[in-house]
Amino acid sequence: MGMLLGASIKMVVRDRQSLFWALIFPLIFLGIFRMFSFDDLGETGLLVAADVSSPVEAALVSALQDVDYLNVEVRVGLDEVAALVAFEEEGFDAALLVTPGEPLESVDTLLLNAVNDPIGHTVTEAAIASVVDDVNAVLVNAPRVISFEARAVDVEVESYFEFLAPGIIGMGLMTFGVIGLAASLSRYREEGVLRRVRATPLAPWKFSASVVVAHLLVGVAQVVVLIGIAYVLGADLVNSGLPGFLLVSLLGTFVFLNLGAIVAGRVQGRGAVESMANGITMPMMFLSGSFFPTSGLPQPVQWFVELLPLTHMLRALRSIGLDHQQLWEQGPELAVLVAWAVGTFLLARVTFRFQDA
Amino acid sequence: MTSSETPADDSIDPMAMSDDPVIRVDGLTKHYGDLVALRPVRFKVGRGEVFGLLGPNGAGKTTLVEMLEGLIEPSGGAAAVLDLDIRHQRDELKQRIGVQLQASSYHRYLTLLEILELFGSFYRRSVDPMELLERVRLDDRAGSRIGQLSGGMAQRFSIVAALVNEPEIVFFDEPTAGLDPDARRDLWDLVLDVRARGATVVLTTHYMEEAESLCDRVAFLNAGEIVALDTPRALVRTLDSPYRVELVTSEALDEHVIAAFDGTRDVSTEQRADGYVLRLNAEHSPDVLRRVEALAAERGVQVLDLTVRAATLEDVFLSLTGQTLSAAPDCEGVA
Repeated sequence: MGMLLGASIKMVVRDRQSLFWALIFPLIFLGIFRMFSFDDLGETGLLVAADVSSPVEAALVSALQDVDYLNVEVRVGLDEVAALVAFEEEGFDAALLVTPGEPLESVDTLLLNAVNDPIGHTVTEAAIASVVDDVNAVLVNAPRVISFEARAVDVEVESYFEFLAPGIIGMGLMTFGVIGLAASLSRYREEGVLRRVRATPLAPWKFSASVVVAHLLVGVAQVVVLIGIAYVLGADLVNSGLPGFLLVSLLGTFVFLNLGAIVAGRVQGRGAVESMANGITMPMMFLSGSFFPTSGLPQPVQWFVELLPLTHMLRALRSIGLDHQQLWEQGPELAVLVAWAVGTFLLARVTFRFQDA
Repeated sequence: MTSSETPADDSIDPMAMSDDPVIRVDGLTKHYGDLVALRPVRFKVGRGEVFGLLGPNGAGKTTLVEMLEGLIEPSGGAAAVLDLDIRHQRDELKQRIGVQLQASSYHRYLTLLEILELFGSFYRRSVDPMELLERVRLDDRAGSRIGQLSGGMAQRFSIVAALVNEPEIVFFDEPTAGLDPDARRDLWDLVLDVRARGATVVLTTHYMEEAESLCDRVAFLNAGEIVALDTPRALVRTLDSPYRVELVTSEALDEHVIAAFDGTRDVSTEQRADGYVLRLNAEHSPDVLRRVEALAAERGVQVLDLTVRAATLEDVFLSLTGQTLSAAPDCEGVA
């Protein structure tokens, strides 16, 4: 049995395709998402058309310059048309046109806001409005009735990358389990390897068990490597300890391996098997919350998503990896995964028949 | 390698071979729905024999062999291999036989050495993998993978992989299919070497020269039936005209006159650039040749060329089934 398991592990790790799904595919996603910095708001390039020789306008410009994320440039005589050209050609995001108003000494302002992400748009507008109010209050020497102070407090806010890392680890285990196993089983069947093994006294269950255990072991190694890489990239996933995280990973991988065996058993031909495996994993990858929280989905879709194994696997992985929860606190998630494991195992046993090889 | 030590001549009495049968097949049949792959067949294979199943593609050879290997469930009849029931004692059966399958391969991500070690671990007893590789001159390729071997090497490997458990009976299914003549002869030596080491060999082939040079006895399979079973020499002797005569002459000789000679059959003529070719089957060639030559001399016709050859298994198969082995439809594996 040891010889058989050793050979099965060698077959998994020497199979470039299976290794691609295990490691390279999730690594690509980790790398790509790390490059985007969703967590920074960035800066807003603001053009201000103002005459700084006027004390009011000078006060306004100086107050705007104090706002950290506004990159202010004063351009005298800028009009609306010139501002639009500057957005197009120089990459400015907004322009504040200041014009003399009635009575004398007062000014009118018009904000041209070209920030196109909704949050940035709102934040820019609010910030400038608040600066305008402040400057107004200061200039008329109005007494300050309500004072306001903001202080950043140290609650651990999870970054998008931290949210993402367990999602990508779960996704990697899914593609490795479903696509990797389905492809290698169908190849062994097509090449006649299964038939040749069947001509020996080896019990079929031993062969299947060695394949499953080999994939589970490689899956664990995959999780450890990805946790390490995620840590280097800025996501610490072993908050509540590695064992719980690995156990959920193993349970989920077992479900996905069963799905892979079912696909290989139901579908003939290597190309068709791989398409089918992709057809199962792709929707789950996007619906079950690998990249975005499922709470953003319409309610009927959420009901469906609650049935999928990856949803529960990811929820448990995030609770353990990010929210300091323990394995035993994942009761509902574990129950769903165990139900999936038992159901898919029974179905895989009747669908993938060694005897047909 | 050892072909000279173990000539496959016909000095072996087929009946004596069956005195100690290691395979007994009694009315084995196989059908897939309405498709009959094998009609009831009966035969025995003696210990130490090289037994050939000869027939065109689709004749049922692989179906028959894979039932004996415990891979295919028979539809009817019974068979015992090494006194083990092929339906109910498969595990023990598989322990003691060696199998080379026609359409199969080995794990592409393991080396030759690793595959032999792995397969050896499936059996109660196993041979040292390096010793096996040396036997087929693949010891220098122990670290290679299947995909890195030539067709002949891969075939030698599949033969030696059937020997990991020192089997008492080895089944070779089309071991030389698709190989060039040199590689084929190389494999013949290997098969004879297996027999010389004491194993019984059952081999399927659609190459008649392979059956003639290797097999002690041959069963002809056609359309799921055994149409003849004997030593190659005895099978050829069953033909009423065991000689094939071909004569090239300057002028055409009268077919009808020659066909009237005693002991001639199937006379035909063909006009070619270099003369007229007269073909006939003869019972006893010297007699017929004398009379044909006399006829030519009498008519003033010059004999340019003359060939006489003994009939082969191919001729036997043709006379039994009306079709040639090679021309038969290529539909093996309807199963």
